[in-house]
Amino acid sequence: MKGKYYIQGMSAISPQHSFGEDIFSQPLVTVNENVFACVEPDYRAYMPPNSVRRLTRILKVGLTAALQCMQSAGVAVPGAIVTGTGKGSLSDTERFLKEIREYKETALNATPFIQSTYNAVNGLIALQQKCTQYNNTFVHRGFSFENALLDAMLLLSEGNKDILVGAFEEITAEHFYIKSRIGCWKKEKIASNELYQHPTPGSISGEGAAFFLLSDQPGKVQLSGLKMVYKPKEPYLDKFLASHNISLEDIDLVISGRNGDSNFDHYYEGLPNELPFKHLCGEYDTAGAFALWLGAQIIKAQQIPANWFPMLKVPAGPYKNILIYNHFFGEQHVYMLLTLNTGYLK
Amino acid sequence: MAERVLITGLGMVTAIGDDVAGNLNSLRRQQSGIGFTQNIDTIYKDILPVAEVSHSTVTLQEMAGVAGKEGFTRTTLLGLIAMREALADAGIADASDEPTGFINASTVGGMCDTEKVYFDVINPEKEGDFLQYIDTLDCADCTQRIADTVGISEYIATISTACSSSANALMFGARLIKAGLVRRVISGGTEALTRFTLNGFNSLKNIDKKHCRPFDQNRNGLNLGEGAAYLVLESESLARERHARVRAELKGYANTNEAFHPTAPSPDGDGAFAAMQQALAMGGVAPEDVQYVNVHGTATLTNDVAEGHALQRLFGDKVPPFSSTKPFTGHTLAAAGGIEAIYAVLAIQHAVIFPNLHFSEKMEELNITPETQLKEGVPVSNVISNSFGFGGNNASLLISKYEG
Repeated sequence: MKGKYYIQGMSAISPQHSFGEDIFSQPLVTVNENVFACVEPDYRAYMPPNSVRRLTRILKVGLTAALQCMQSAGVAVPGAIVTGTGKGSLSDTERFLKEIREYKETALNATPFIQSTYNAVNGLIALQQKCTQYNNTFVHRGFSFENALLDAMLLLSEGNKDILVGAFEEITAEHFYIKSRIGCWKKEKIASNELYQHPTPGSISGEGAAFFLLSDQPGKVQLSGLKMVYKPKEPYLDKFLASHNISLEDIDLVISGRNGDSNFDHYYEGLPNELPFKHLCGEYDTAGAFALWLGAQIIKAQQIPANWFPMLKVPAGPYKNILIYNHFFGEQHVYMLLTLNTGYLK
Repeated sequence: MAERVLITGLGMVTAIGDDVAGNLNSLRRQQSGIGFTQNIDTIYKDILPVAEVSHSTVTLQEMAGVAGKEGFTRTTLLGLIAMREALADAGIADASDEPTGFINASTVGGMCDTEKVYFDVINPEKEGDFLQYIDTLDCADCTQRIADTVGISEYIATISTACSSSANALMFGARLIKAGLVRRVISGGTEALTRFTLNGFNSLKNIDKKHCRPFDQNRNGLNLGEGAAYLVLESESLARERHARVRAELKGYANTNEAFHPTAPSPDGDGAFAAMQQALAMGGVAPEDVQYVNVHGTATLTNDVAEGHALQRLFGDKVPPFSSTKPFTGHTLAAAGGIEAIYAVLAIQHAVIFPNLHFSEKMEELNITPETQLKEGVPVSNVISNSFGFGGNNASLLISKYEG
């Protein structure tokens, strides 16, 4: 998908201090247990007290990131709400499965069932902001967020305005264990900031939410390309760049999904000016949304949050073109292109 | 000028038929698929009626052409059966001969199989064959297995907006074609019955212990169902180029949100009204030119009031014949929009309007009653198909006779 789309607002709740603060002065958060958890904000500024009590964690994380994103863009009611999530509210799914067993299918509380529905966050955002427009939720592993983004781009090209697009994902102890049984995570415990020094099978797990207000009104950060490639038989990078009339030499920074997994990291070999991000948030279905948030922050501020990358020499600016390349366990590959809209600066 | 989006192939499996012809036959014979489950392990086995596809999982494996292969959940098998029929019906021998998209819909993915082994999966002391189902719980599993089996790789997506999921999948597929990103998309949804969903809807007190009675004063909830349905969507130019047989046109669609309550619609049916109105506007079709509405009609207390009010608001005192086909198929959640879109195509192709079974008494809140008789030989050019869901998600499709 090509065209002129601009990120007018954004917000991320992640394992880093990414929410509502100057990210460029924040220290790096690391873990040693192969699983990251979000730094949760104070929800009370974003929802009524009964919601703070009633909603499960990822619903609050998703709703809050969405609301802060709209605030940052100065938009109260978006023209559409589109999200992606690979797993939805795992806590609620797990809870309902257990309660069915524990209470032998009788006298069940419906709340975890309702909240386990993948479109629950979308419904909450619409309800709280009284947004009666287009509303959609994509649930496809490493294409969940990116399909939502494609939908948002289509909506703009069809004449809609101010699209709220985002992703949310949680990891639970139980799901971490389940995925460990099929080798998704490293067997050995590592320090997250040493992720790239451990080329062994599996990665480290994470979670997070990131939202964007996408608009056709010119702004500084332009989303100029998006391509999803399913189980590619050959590298697609050259085709992607060619379709945007740009060459690898023009790319100032490549934000890569490298995650220390020796099964799949070969896809990232040979990328110039590489800035890997999974030591910040871990691996999860919608980590691509965090990458887009990071890239957009870098374009906007024309600097890299250097504290977060002590293990490498960060490529020097200016950052005019940023390529994001991420894949999810070798199956869903995604290319995104971010561009500094210099015309807007004049 | 954006391409018109044509429907060139249909495939489905439900409790009333293993294919499109079987479904049409049961609809005409007014034969409901609602009964009791053979497959779900539940205390409600003989209490809560469901519309189950009457084949064991082993038989479904054979029907799907993957006998003996491991890791295919019931959700995937139902989907694969419908997909194979849709491709054959469209005259597509090899789906990879043209870059093709697959936009699938699911509400609980492979839960039907995962829930049976879940407590073994989380028990470190247990090892065994169940491990092959670990990664089938999410919604992408069924989509990818179906796509991989038939050779689709260009655009892959799964949508989950509760009961409107596959209507949104059809909409997204049509929009990819209109945007010129791809010329052919197969869209729809698949849903297998699960103990999880049965208990979910039961905990909401939304399930009738009798056969569901949509738009009836004494309705008391829905019956769940299972099935899968896919429609082959093609740009008009591709359909012409390969001389495809055109079944109907997807002329309009709209997606709106109630922004009213997490699980209930607004009593006046604001979202349903807006969705239908916008779908008609997109298709350039006036309300008086609609001959049939296949309503969402779940037979829950709140849906039918809201949807009925929306119909009266949109059509005034000239509400066209309408019916819910859920007394045939049960409420198949993510598959419902696809199944009912095919019924809309069948109504157009065969000049038939399907009856709303089990209706006896008009709702006191409404002035209208559903069609209770099978009507044959009625020219049908424009059909609205509604799908509404949790989270306030509403979707309406306008399916029309193709006039080239």
